[in-house]
Amino acid sequence: MTLKRGVPARHALAVYWRTWFAQIRSIVEYPADLWVMASAGAVWNILQFAFLAVLFANVPDVAGWGYHEMLMLSGLLSVAGGCNALFWDGAWSTGSMVIKGDIDYRITRPAPVIIQVGSSHIGMQSIGEVVFGAAMLVYGWIGAGIGLAAVPIGVLAVVCAGIIQSALVTALCAVNFWIKGQASIFAFLLIELQGNAMKMPLGIFPSGVRLVAMFLVPVAFVNFVPVSVVTGHMPAWWLAGVPAAVLGSVLLAVGVYRLGLRAYDSAGH
Amino acid sequence: MPILEARALTKTFRRPDKASGFKGAVKHLMQRKYKNYTAVDGIDLSIEPGESVAYVGPNGAGKSTTVKLLTGILRPSEGTVRVMGRDPHTERIANAHDIGVLFGQRTQLWWDLPVEESLKLLKHMYGVSDADYKARIEKFDELLDLGEFMPALARTLSLGQRMRADLACALIHDPKMVYLDEPTIGLDISVKDRLRAFLRELVNDGTTLLLTSHDLADIEEVCERIVVIDKGAIAYDGSIERLKAHYITTKAVNLYLEGAANVPELAEKFPDYEWTAGEAPSEVTVTYESSRFTTAEVLGSLTAQLAPRDLSLSEPSIEDVIRRLYAGELTK
Repeated sequence: MTLKRGVPARHALAVYWRTWFAQIRSIVEYPADLWVMASAGAVWNILQFAFLAVLFANVPDVAGWGYHEMLMLSGLLSVAGGCNALFWDGAWSTGSMVIKGDIDYRITRPAPVIIQVGSSHIGMQSIGEVVFGAAMLVYGWIGAGIGLAAVPIGVLAVVCAGIIQSALVTALCAVNFWIKGQASIFAFLLIELQGNAMKMPLGIFPSGVRLVAMFLVPVAFVNFVPVSVVTGHMPAWWLAGVPAAVLGSVLLAVGVYRLGLRAYDSAGH
Repeated sequence: MPILEARALTKTFRRPDKASGFKGAVKHLMQRKYKNYTAVDGIDLSIEPGESVAYVGPNGAGKSTTVKLLTGILRPSEGTVRVMGRDPHTERIANAHDIGVLFGQRTQLWWDLPVEESLKLLKHMYGVSDADYKARIEKFDELLDLGEFMPALARTLSLGQRMRADLACALIHDPKMVYLDEPTIGLDISVKDRLRAFLRELVNDGTTLLLTSHDLADIEEVCERIVVIDKGAIAYDGSIERLKAHYITTKAVNLYLEGAANVPELAEKFPDYEWTAGEAPSEVTVTYESSRFTTAEVLGSLTAQLAPRDLSLSEPSIEDVIRRLYAGELTK
């Protein structure tokens, strides 16, 4: 398989993994930084645990969703965010790379720029996020009484959640090709909105919000749709929307990034 | 057939047109205005395989923008670029295998990785075989002393080490066309000498080189052809020798006399020469037109009549010529 503009997909993947493993080797050389950042991610997730425990000590359910189901929502969202930071944190640097002209060298190399940028950094807080997010997900899974038969769906949901999350973040970070600024405001906004809204059942929001979260910016497919299906809140055929959301969000990210590279005007002229 | 050909190459950037200060910023927010700024203005450039070309100009002349257009980093606003027959922007991947780029002000090393890891990542990215990689690393080590800092993290390198490592990164895939943008900026004399020797070796091996630098010694030692750019347009394109022959029309002799030099009296006695007082009272500089007098004639007449204690010849320098080209005192 060959990507557009003559890069074999296998080569692009090899570039990605080699860069990623090189970053991992570098991180391992500084264990103190690793543990501090990993702990920060873990503490954040423990707080989520505590919040839900307190909430459900006072209310029996939220829009028909129980404690363990809500834990699954939070857990899957955390794992998705953690995967983004673990495997694709470099996308967040797009804005600063554009401002500083650091995309220049990447354009002159025979590999997709988006791959080189995405793999350029690993967020060490991700380890805590992934581990404790997964713990919440598994605890919620067991507590909600979902059997082992649905585990393959759970695994698929985790993989897809990480890809959709990373792709949406990438598309929004690529806006910085036009709006010159170091911080990826739109991507931060997405994370903020997800943190506030997507840990709740989508049913509590007005229909307009539900439509946007399902079809316009498909954040619902990161955690809400797969958890709804395995917990029986939505029919199984909704699962087909998850790979479709993966495809759509990846195409969106690649498209916006390509357009951004066409508009890229480097620094210092 | 040229390895690189640019025709009517133009790059225009849009810049915000706003007054300074907070008031200007707020006004611009409400009423957005932009001005077009042409950084590169209709450049025609053709480079044959194996040529070493210096691309020089004052700050803001459009040197780096030209390099970015030639390497495919920027899309031209108008005009065309072909490198080995390809458009470097639309055929980016194929072009990347044939070019090597170094921007002296930035590094392409992975900041938190050892130099060796960065080179290995590039090796795999360019698909360099193990044997070629080994041979090239050995050569770089011999010429650039890479071995001493290969295991060091990029962020711990000195500027000179960083530049040598970046040069190795730019050349690890043995590119046919190499662009070096300010490769000796900020380096001390010994590192500069080493880099220049390396670049001469590179050119001797048949690599085509486009070099931008403010250090004219880089140019004289490495390049045969010079392209001077000013305000986005080419002011001169030709050999360095022709530049000297065409524009350096005078030569100078510094005389150190026994007593104090009386410049008006000397000017009256030798009206064909131009006389300038030196730093010391006994020092005087004689400037003469090289088309009218040979150096031997000038020295003969001066030593016979003035019996100087010592003298020195001022070597013709392209620095003066380029300075005058920048200042608009000379024309093509």
